[in-house]
Amino acid sequence: MFEFSDEQKMAQTMLRQWCEKELAPQVAKLERGEYPPYELMRKMARTFALDEMVRASFKRLEERAAKGEVAPEREEGESGGFARDPGMSAIVGMELSRHCPGFCLAFGASLGLAGGAIMAKGTLAQKKRWALPILTLEKIGAWGMTEPNAGSDAFGGMRTVARRDGDSYVLHGQKTFITNAPFADTFVVYAKIVEDSATDPRSRPIHTFILEKSDPGLSVSKPMEKMGMHSSPTGEVFLADVRVGRERLLGEKEKDPSREQAREVFHGERTGMAPMCLGIVERCLEDSIKYSKERTTWDKPIAENQLVQEKLARMYMHRENIRNLLFKQLWMVKHGQKQSMAEASACKLYCARATTEVALEAVQIMGGNGYMREYHVEMLMRDAKLLQIGGGTDEIQIVTIARQLLG
Amino acid sequence: MKILVTLKRVPDPEQKVKFKGDAIDFTGVNWVPNQFDEYAVEAALRLTENASAGGAGGAVRDGEVVVVSIGPKEVAQQLRAALAMGADRAILIDGDDGALDAEMVARTLVKLVEQEKPDLLLMGKLAADSENNQVGQLAAGYLHWPQATFAATIQAAEDGKALDVGREVDSGVEIKRVTLPAVVTVDLRIIAPQAIKNGKTAPDHAYPEGPRYASLKGIMAAKKKPITETALATLGIAPSLRVKTTAVTAPPARKAGVKVASVEELVAKLHNEAKVL
Ligand SMILES: Cc1cc2nc3c(=O)[nH]c(=O)nc-3n(C[C@H](O)[C@H](O)[C@H](O)COP(=O)(O)OP(=O)(O)OC[C@H]3O[C@@H](n4cnc5c(N)ncnc54)[C@H](O)[C@@H]3O)c2cc1C
Repeated sequence: MFEFSDEQKMAQTMLRQWCEKELAPQVAKLERGEYPPYELMRKMARTFALDEMVRASFKRLEERAAKGEVAPEREEGESGGFARDPGMSAIVGMELSRHCPGFCLAFGASLGLAGGAIMAKGTLAQKKRWALPILTLEKIGAWGMTEPNAGSDAFGGMRTVARRDGDSYVLHGQKTFITNAPFADTFVVYAKIVEDSATDPRSRPIHTFILEKSDPGLSVSKPMEKMGMHSSPTGEVFLADVRVGRERLLGEKEKDPSREQAREVFHGERTGMAPMCLGIVERCLEDSIKYSKERTTWDKPIAENQLVQEKLARMYMHRENIRNLLFKQLWMVKHGQKQSMAEASACKLYCARATTEVALEAVQIMGGNGYMREYHVEMLMRDAKLLQIGGGTDEIQIVTIARQLLG
Repeated sequence: MKILVTLKRVPDPEQKVKFKGDAIDFTGVNWVPNQFDEYAVEAALRLTENASAGGAGGAVRDGEVVVVSIGPKEVAQQLRAALAMGADRAILIDGDDGALDAEMVARTLVKLVEQEKPDLLLMGKLAADSENNQVGQLAAGYLHWPQATFAATIQAAEDGKALDVGREVDSGVEIKRVTLPAVVTVDLRIIAPQAIKNGKTAPDHAYPEGPRYASLKGIMAAKKKPITETALATLGIAPSLRVKTTAVTAPPARKAGVKVASVEELVAKLHNEAKVL
């Protein structure tokens, strides 16, 4: 239960070798924004034949659908490739994050969030037209929920609207902090349906739409400048009366309770964090051990000071806890059990806080060097902070846990 | 073409060697495939596929690659990795490296060649642990097969009955033609993008440098590929050693250097003490 399978371990070794050879040398360039991360993602997909696997699994999906065998609930989340095996996706998240959490974020936002949302609730035609190209990395996806006035209060505060006009919808509004937005081809966007002006805007039904970069009225900002996660371009999406047909409504039916849909993706967003955290924490710990054995003050390695040892021990403790939480999560998915919102929130809260602490302490152990870009932990520390904000802030996780505890 | 490839596991060369008495202490050692053997597996795969025919999905296999290792049960891990890269099946011969020498390994391979009847015995030029560099040569001798060692390039002859093996020698590159069946050992340049031309893959095809990464599909497929287990005794190999390792000791620790105050002092020391001037 607390170990990856032999196949997963082998995949991990392969991926680690690839990251060391292909990703690590590019991190500085990616971080400076000199080139977006997408070509490298494609290279990775080709190397491990992910695209080929996704295509094969889509073919099976279509064949089953043609025979009328597809039970929709079974096909949910059937996204092919490693996404079908949560252990494999965890390994991808861990290994990428050891070297570049930003690269991992951009990858996860496209395949996991945008691709995942379409795979979870799209019709077969929608999956084929929009999810398949995202999962094979021909196209890049972005997932747009957050707005300038709706982050933690995403549903209530949402102002983006979709007005019905005959058989089409006209979308109007603005999204912000959207990963991949500046370069994405496909956008999964949440909007409120306006029934009549009498309904309270807070409680209007929310629906999900698939938009394309070329849709008239859709525009994006340049990449925003930010504290960390520099390898993942973040931007705004502007919707100025974007007119789309019904085929762009995810699931093609309005009756879907979309808040549930989005909640499920939130859930995914939360659970997807643990592997990233583990990757960052393991790297920080390894680098800190190495550094503290090599660096000497007063003629002895700094590792011989108990104050430094305490930091290393706490890092290790967090590493153990995150790893256990991750394996529990994987075990539950494997056995068809679903985490409660409080469980998922507690896991996300712990992992994010522990990771920030570990990364901060890694910088501390390395002193002035830790503060320098040349040392990897400088970047990991800035990147780690995002984990306490994205996918629901720490405070929102706490509120969620308390709500369930207090009934 | 059917190829038998050897794959030995060795202690990670990056790891620091620990000693226990007169021997190396292997506890806690991280075992990795011998690099030259990994190159041999890659070379074998390149020789037995059409890499230009598969379209986006990759190569089409054309031939058989059997990987063999002598070692403890755990070597299955390294064999599985070779199967994930694309090899067809594997043979694990139970054996303890401490109770083997190059000659016994060569005899074992000869027995296996008699059973498997490959067209080519492909090996790494040496194993990174003991760096003996003998097994390929010995096996070729026992088999009375032609051999080409330290292969930097391999090109299949047009009729498919011989290989032209390029070897980097002091005076340049030497091309040796060996008729099959033969023994070839590979050097590090064999994994260059165009080091291998098999007459099927387009001649201008360029591989990524290095042994290939196992794809996820390959890893899943490897689960179902057979690893046959056998033992030295089953193959009729009598345990007798020509070479016995009597002791292994660490090189002496380097003494601290001397600091000199001036160039004159340095020159004087080089002249009087080191006697190099
Ligand atoms: C790098 C990056 C990438 C992102 N990528 C995406 C993306 O791809 N798609 C997407 O849709 N969004 C994305 N986001 C947005 C992210 O999900 C939001 O920033 C996040 O949910 C917080 O919302 P907010 O920024 O509006 O903060 P606010 O909601 O304004 O919160 C401000 C502060 O108030 C606290 N707070 C708010 N409400 C409460 C309460 N009820 N009780 C206690 N405290 C409260 C918060 O915890 C926080 O500390 C991204 C953000 C970043 C920084």
